[in-house]
Amino acid sequence: MKVLVAVKRVVDYNVKVRAKADGSDVDLNNVKMAINPFCEIAVEEAVRLKEKGVATEVVVVSIGGKTCQEQIRTALALGADRGIQVEVEGNAEPLVVAKLLKGVVEKEEPQLVILGKQSIDGDNNQTGQMLGALTGMGQGTFASEVVVDGDKVNVTREIDGGLQTVALTLPAIVTTDLRLNEPRYASLPNIMKAKKKPLDVLTPADLGVEVKSHITLLKVEPPAERSAGIKVADVDQLVDKLKNEAKVI
Amino acid sequence: MADNPCPPLAQLEAIVGAGRVFTDADSLEHYGRDWTRFYPPAPCAVVLPGSIEEVQAIVHLAAAENLAIVPSGGRTGLSAGGVATRGELVLALDRMNRIEDFNPVDRTVRCGAGVVTEQLQQFAADQGLFYPVDFASSGSSQIGGNISTNAGGIKVIRHGMTRDWVAGLKLVTGTGELLDLNRGLVKNNTGYDLRHLVIGAEGTLGVVVEATMQLDQAPKDLAVMVLGVPDMPALMRVLGAFREQLTLSAFEFFSEPALAKVVAHQGLPRPFETEAPYYALLEFEQSGEVDMDAAMAVFEDCVGEGWVLDGTISQSLTQAENLWRLREDISETITPWTPYKNDISTVISKVPDFLDEVEAVVNAAYPDFEIIWFGHIGDGNVHLNILKPEGLDIDLFREQCGEVSKLVFDIVQRYGGSVSAEHGVGLLKKDYLQYSRSPAEIEIMRQIKRAFDPQGIMNPGKIFDL
Ligand SMILES: Cc1cc2nc3c(=O)[nH]c(=O)nc-3n(C[C@H](O)[C@H](O)[C@H](O)COP(=O)(O)OP(=O)(O)OC[C@H]3O[C@@H](n4cnc5c(N)ncnc54)[C@H](O)[C@@H]3O)c2cc1C
Repeated sequence: MKVLVAVKRVVDYNVKVRAKADGSDVDLNNVKMAINPFCEIAVEEAVRLKEKGVATEVVVVSIGGKTCQEQIRTALALGADRGIQVEVEGNAEPLVVAKLLKGVVEKEEPQLVILGKQSIDGDNNQTGQMLGALTGMGQGTFASEVVVDGDKVNVTREIDGGLQTVALTLPAIVTTDLRLNEPRYASLPNIMKAKKKPLDVLTPADLGVEVKSHITLLKVEPPAERSAGIKVADVDQLVDKLKNEAKVI
Repeated sequence: MADNPCPPLAQLEAIVGAGRVFTDADSLEHYGRDWTRFYPPAPCAVVLPGSIEEVQAIVHLAAAENLAIVPSGGRTGLSAGGVATRGELVLALDRMNRIEDFNPVDRTVRCGAGVVTEQLQQFAADQGLFYPVDFASSGSSQIGGNISTNAGGIKVIRHGMTRDWVAGLKLVTGTGELLDLNRGLVKNNTGYDLRHLVIGAEGTLGVVVEATMQLDQAPKDLAVMVLGVPDMPALMRVLGAFREQLTLSAFEFFSEPALAKVVAHQGLPRPFETEAPYYALLEFEQSGEVDMDAAMAVFEDCVGEGWVLDGTISQSLTQAENLWRLREDISETITPWTPYKNDISTVISKVPDFLDEVEAVVNAAYPDFEIIWFGHIGDGNVHLNILKPEGLDIDLFREQCGEVSKLVFDIVQRYGGSVSAEHGVGLLKKDYLQYSRSPAEIEIMRQIKRAFDPQGIMNPGKIFDL
């Protein structure tokens, strides 16, 4: 069984992002970039499927500029077999990404496509679902457990108030939630081996997709600073402030 | 030496205000001890001044009453320098925690002695700068305490000790006099630099009330590597190999039992599946692919030589943080075993032979005790921790460890090393000072103490007896 995993290069989770002075965008100058944490979980899940003998090949795809090859190499070091970069400059919108992924799916014909439920930069939570609609494949989103069973995959989903398990007929799409697994570290020997693994570069034209933008970014500004807390002298003062200032009791 | 009369509580309260003098049992215990657990705390009272003038007034009062003072910072010290065992007055600097007068041209900032180390690190980061002294207790330790112990930590290999970042400091001496030492000057060759006597004095020369701290340029993109290593000599070869190619900002090590405990108790993943007797943690600034390729090449060479068994490198800041925790969480993780800590060092070139000898002695002497090795091996400094077996009486345990310490310190002495590389002497290492300092040196230290503190009221009985 072939598994396709999509990964995105994003601002590192631990970076304190700042808006550009002119408010035109987030300032990405000299900022640490990394693989989107949910995508990292997707890679780990695919590699585990391979280690269990369920998957035979793990192909990792990323859509972006040349620098996103770094994240593809990271995924290859974690255990993916080969990489595909679809070269797109700038920030592609979820619909464009989904269309490009559809092109890759048609080319590669994977049985399972695993994506992160969202990327931590745009927080859109759309790509997996759009890909489902475009390809007509079943989708199990927000997965906390993935079990392949013959020609089906059972996906346990984290939903309000509990867990729901859906059975999807393969080929299918899974998007990962935080608790699906804990990704491993890439070992240095594997990082070196990853350098020799194949990495193909495609253009949107190769996949018959026109990159269009439907959204215009108007302004980016930091959230309002929170005012500092105060210390109250005693319980009476606290109750008084809650009643008369905050008016919550 | 002070004879510890009853504390003049009313007068103290007149100086600092109501609610800032404590004598209740909880406060006496809390403020009367540091991270060590070998000496029961027994201060007479705790006072929390809010200004330099208040500190001076307290010292004047203590001098008049012949009352000993223990200056107290974040109480994370590991040598019982901040423990009040003999009815002393604890003077805690917690309230003097303001950061003021940031000067972007000089890259300096004025800190009250009670500023928490992490607070200064954060302040520097907010200015796009860096305060490089860092270790696992920096969330609690104070600048005054760091100065008084000349704290080292995990970035010494590149950035040096606390001493290197103190541009100036203010000290209230044992007579209540305020000294303003060096005033932030880069160059100042006007006689003895008293500032440097105060740094590392463990509160025996007076109370540090304020410091002008130097900040540094912020490092770019730091990569963290953890390597599995077969033995201690190989560790030093790995250090040498990497230093030839890269500027390291950290080179730490820990043993498999240390890693096993941290992984079990902190719920962190192992760095890789291969189990190795020792692990090295390296940090370096990566300026693009060049450094990364160099690091990879050295790694391959080290594997080829048999010095490295396996390894990993951080792919994100989260991974970098988690890999650091494998080293940084050790101290806290082993605390429940009341570890007896040896903090020994020698010059880097002698480390392999030195550690060989120490390891042999320790393994022979403690066949039944669990031993945890970790530390700043890139600085020639290792922490040798002996864990107390459950059920063994704590005094008996300390006694037994003390006996073996003498064997270890004999080796330290032969190698011209230090019996306390960065934790200070306090009470815990006082009996062993002569292994690292000559009688003539210790006598001059006594004279220096008398010059700053003629009545002997400043943290008496710590480092040496008068
Ligand atoms: C988990 C852990 C990890 C650690 N790692 C390291 C490490 O890597 N490197 C290292 O060097 N240390 C380390 N330490 C030791 C300790 O944290 C440092 O020595 C620290 O600098 C102590 O600061 P403090 O404010 O807690 O001082 P305290 O413990 O309060 O006091 C230490 C000494 O300084 C004196 N003192 C405190 N404040 C003043 C003042 N304002 N004026 C005069 N004297 C004063 C006290 O009387 C005492 O003698 C570690 C400790 C822990 C618990």
